[in-house]
Amino acid sequence: MRNQVREQRTQREMSQADLAAALGVSRQTVISIESGRYLPSLPLAFRIARFFDLAVDKMFDPEEEEAGA
Amino acid sequence: MMMFIRPRLRKPLLRGMAGLVLAGAWAIGGGPAQWLAIVIAIVAVGYAVGWYVWAGEDSDEGALLGSRADERQKLVGQKARALAGVVAMAAAYTGLVITLAVKRADAWPFAALLLVTGFGYLFGLSQYGSGESDPADDADAGHQARSSVTY
Repeated sequence: MRNQVREQRTQREMSQADLAAALGVSRQTVISIESGRYLPSLPLAFRIARFFDLAVDKMFDPEEEEAGA
Repeated sequence: MMMFIRPRLRKPLLRGMAGLVLAGAWAIGGGPAQWLAIVIAIVAVGYAVGWYVWAGEDSDEGALLGSRADERQKLVGQKARALAGVVAMAAAYTGLVITLAVKRADAWPFAALLLVTGFGYLFGLSQYGSGESDPADDADAGHQARSSVTY
């Protein structure tokens, strides 16, 4: 599943550590989410989307995976 | 009580205490190698200190050991624990097979371990599974709930 976390973070010139602190998760978790290795829980996905002021389905796009399935 | 202890200190303290209890049990057991109780106690304290130092690192392991893991890190911990359970079951089964073939009288600890881990797994399923007690919302309508999942 593709997500916009890295793009949104770099647009705001935030470091992964800054975003991690803002979301209340570890830096390693931000790295895993950005690289697509970890799919966040629904509450965390909403927290991320709200932080960047985007809808969840804009932040996390399932299209790519479904197209490949 | 654990609430009053700093998160980073909780697990090292528990591990250290568990080691000291082990040393105490060895000492109470008596026998010629009493000095081993002191060695066990020293190793337990060293283990707890090492655990405390590791818990301060900025890593998944450090977060887990320092009791400050987030949701992904907790999942990593659960997977590691599940793997440890599988390994324990495999080791118990292997031990059981070998002792049954070589010295049947020594087989019971492996059988007991296998039973405990097996029942632990079943208990986990009963605790964390959804169970069958919750009826489907549309059960009264006379038809089964449809799932979009295909097999």
